[in-house]
Amino acid sequence: MSESLALNALLFLPVLGGILLLLVPAQRADVIRGVSMLVLLVQLALAVWLYLRFQSGVSGLQFETRLPWIPGLGVHYHIGLDGLNLLLVLLAAFLGPLVVAGAVKSIDRDVKLFHAMVMFIQFTMIGTFLAQDLFLFYVFWEAMLIPMFLIIGIWGGERRIYATLKFFLYTAFGSILMLAAVIYLGYTVLGATGSPSFAFTDLYALELGLEVQIWLLLAFALSFAIKVPMVPLHTWLPDAHVQAPTAGSVILAGVLLKMGTYGFVKLGFPLFPDATLLATPFLMTLAVISIIYGAGLALVQDDIKKIIAYSSVSHLGYVMLGLVSYNLLGVQGALIQMVSHGLVAGGLFLMVGMIYERCHSRDLAAYGGLAKLLPVYSVFFLILTLAAIGLPTTSGFTGEFLVLLGAFTAAWPLYEQGVGYPLALAALAVLGVVLGALYMLRLARRLLFGAVQTPVAVVSDLDLREKLILTTLVAAIFVLGLFPNHFLQKTEQAARDYQEQMLYTPDGEARR
Amino acid sequence: MNPETIEMVPTSAPVLDAQALFFAALPEHLLLLGIVVILILDLVSSRPRDPFVPALITVIAAAGAALWLHLTGYSGTPFPGQMSVGPDALAAKAVLLGLTVPVLLLARQERLDSQFAMLLLGSLYGIGLMLSADSLLMLFFGIELLSLPLYALVVHGLRRPESAEAAMKYLVLGGVGTAVLLMGISLTLGATGGLSLDDFRIAMAGDDFLSRGAVVLVVVAFMLKAALVPFHAWAPDAYEGAGIPVTAYMATIVKGGVVLALVHLFNGAEAGVHLVGLLIALPLLSMVWGNLVAMRQQGFRRLIAYSSIAHAGYLFFALLGVSEGRFEAVAFYVLVYGLTNLLAFACLPAGSDWVRDRLDSLKGLYYRDPLAAILIGVAMLSLAGIPPFPGFIAKFLIFQNVMAAGFVTVAVVGLVASYLGIYLYLRVIQYMFMSQKPEHTVPSPAGAYATTAAVLSMAAVLTLAIFPNWILAWL
Repeated sequence: MSESLALNALLFLPVLGGILLLLVPAQRADVIRGVSMLVLLVQLALAVWLYLRFQSGVSGLQFETRLPWIPGLGVHYHIGLDGLNLLLVLLAAFLGPLVVAGAVKSIDRDVKLFHAMVMFIQFTMIGTFLAQDLFLFYVFWEAMLIPMFLIIGIWGGERRIYATLKFFLYTAFGSILMLAAVIYLGYTVLGATGSPSFAFTDLYALELGLEVQIWLLLAFALSFAIKVPMVPLHTWLPDAHVQAPTAGSVILAGVLLKMGTYGFVKLGFPLFPDATLLATPFLMTLAVISIIYGAGLALVQDDIKKIIAYSSVSHLGYVMLGLVSYNLLGVQGALIQMVSHGLVAGGLFLMVGMIYERCHSRDLAAYGGLAKLLPVYSVFFLILTLAAIGLPTTSGFTGEFLVLLGAFTAAWPLYEQGVGYPLALAALAVLGVVLGALYMLRLARRLLFGAVQTPVAVVSDLDLREKLILTTLVAAIFVLGLFPNHFLQKTEQAARDYQEQMLYTPDGEARR
Repeated sequence: MNPETIEMVPTSAPVLDAQALFFAALPEHLLLLGIVVILILDLVSSRPRDPFVPALITVIAAAGAALWLHLTGYSGTPFPGQMSVGPDALAAKAVLLGLTVPVLLLARQERLDSQFAMLLLGSLYGIGLMLSADSLLMLFFGIELLSLPLYALVVHGLRRPESAEAAMKYLVLGGVGTAVLLMGISLTLGATGGLSLDDFRIAMAGDDFLSRGAVVLVVVAFMLKAALVPFHAWAPDAYEGAGIPVTAYMATIVKGGVVLALVHLFNGAEAGVHLVGLLIALPLLSMVWGNLVAMRQQGFRRLIAYSSIAHAGYLFFALLGVSEGRFEAVAFYVLVYGLTNLLAFACLPAGSDWVRDRLDSLKGLYYRDPLAAILIGVAMLSLAGIPPFPGFIAKFLIFQNVMAAGFVTVAVVGLVASYLGIYLYLRVIQYMFMSQKPEHTVPSPAGAYATTAAVLSMAAVLTLAIFPNWILAWL
């Protein structure tokens, strides 16, 4: 009981924070930052506590709350934790304080509005993860665009308006088709059971024809694939990342992109399993193309932020690959990879922001030899680089390794049956790891080593605040890399259930 | 009782019921009383009087009466065959009269004289008649009573030569609408031999040429009044020519009243085969055209005009849907759409009428008046149908209704058309928040009345966003 209360508190704390911020005069930037930080730290504490209280090995939702919201439409305020959203909620709560801490220097105007927007986005992101009612999910999913639109549009770089409109219009296009599918599902439930409902559990129970499933999956998948983003729907991402302020990039890469992959694993795939199985070759191919193509693009960029943006496309390709392997290892790996990418990409964007604050340039060619000039910065940067590559002991290794292991495990029996493409695609995905090493090491080499060169004369090394932010992040990366079992235990049952849902009908027959 | 009256009633209907006569039309009686009071006050005083207080009391009393009657579940038939009132009509009246309160506040902020107040109340009386009409003639009477004061309101105060031109255009096209409606009514009489709304619904189900013609003409006349493409040409000019309160009134209450009257006319009936094409094509066309053209507008009123053309498209879409839940969907939409528009109008920066209208003058508004910018932003996002704002739920209800009737593809196309509108509302937000900080930031003091209107609208919008059920369960 007290856990469900805590979960509600976790969700609504940022709203409370936003209201508190309204009371603070706009000039008191320090108070605004302090209040935001405090609220988000309490949120993190709640998230950690709930994570520890979360029981492994139990199917279904924990710490549930279900209250009628719009009874006429069958809409409920329904939230809860399960193995799929547990780590993501923890990730979002973990990155929140870091975003606020990271923005102390870079956000120097309209501080109040900025922090209000951070609160808003924190509320909507965690709401999206927690929602167990499709209507509620959609409300959070779509509302999330508003604060991001303002964050990029107000505090972004020189082409911020173009980037933010592109971001909004791209994602809103996906959402509008998803809305059509949501409405359709709602009245299908009404037709099937006689009472309207948008509860996920009721929707899973629907038995839809294959053709209907295909259309609905298309609508959902478009929306989720834009958000992930999967090639070829990724073109909004580099613009948004490059123009966004550091905090925006961190939120975007850290949490927002995971909403797409979470949408797939929670809704898109299990709601329409037959259509998904039919589309698996296609989805797998797209995932591998995202891995390779994203890595290839990252390899040739000269804008540091763009390199990391494209690396996100590549890394989230692994998540997709793991999800469509329908293999316990692969799905578990995908869940870990989501968190790992959130930490690593978030960290890299923070570090790019730190150097940008000092030198006002993101051009790789303008830098060189920072290792001599900024030793502390360079150590952190190297650690993050190695984590991005997926070196053992870092979180990146756990995620990518499990995904690839899962993909191969799933592909091998198919190969023996004469279906060769999964094996070929899994083999190609390994190439992504090599390419990942190439582009990250290229970035690190040109940034940290070689002749000393910076766009401005005097550059100072990291201060205490920055060290603290990065130490926290790096610690989390190592915890996830060294003790993955703790996290995997919590998600295992959910991954099993997902696998079950995908491969077998409710009656226990194999779907394929 | 006058024997002639009894003879006029076609059936062996009961004699006039004095109680029903009083209660069924209580909101209208109050409006009439208000008009008379304002008129007398104007006559007895030597200098121009401010009619704000009596007008406000009148509107609140009328809205309250409608609400009260609705809550008690009242239904009555003061004039059998001509006029009857049910819960839906009372709810619609309560919504529309309630929306008039911010309009009056806006009018008071600009300038409010007795003529304005009387014209406005008279026009509201027309809306009341329309919604309780039981025969096509009464409906026609209501529409005319709604429109005639409007023509005068557009030129009222005659700010610019354009106002006269706009009113003229409106008058001519409104006249065409009247003619089309009358023609449709005549054809209905020819096809069914009666003028009651039931006869019209028989014509809706009919398959002969006369019935089809009758129904199409009547619906087209309503489309003209609600400004659907291709009958929309008058709207941008009329909206631009009129003062801001009148524009707000036309865009919200008049449009909502017209659509609600059509819903009342359709009642339980669903669109027949010959109407379906019309009700798919023109609303879709309105959504696409309205949203596209609105993107290019530089004036706020013209932007709202084109956006309201698109919104008329969504509203008419509801007529395509199943009759169950149609009234709730439309009434909720009208309420939300009206409130958000009024919220935006109430927050426009102060200044001369012409300056206020330019979208440019919104640039950097956040840095001059953050609250106004945020409130306009909320209004724009709600109009765009972005959750968590109530415009989303309103849009959801309409499209759910359409899909439930089996028009899945049409609903999807409609949703995509509504997507086109997102850009135009985002552009307003971009102007307010993302333009260069103006060098000299003159705080623009909003008037007390406009602020009150904004606060009232915002409170209602928030309530509808968080507890949409309160209203939905009540409707």
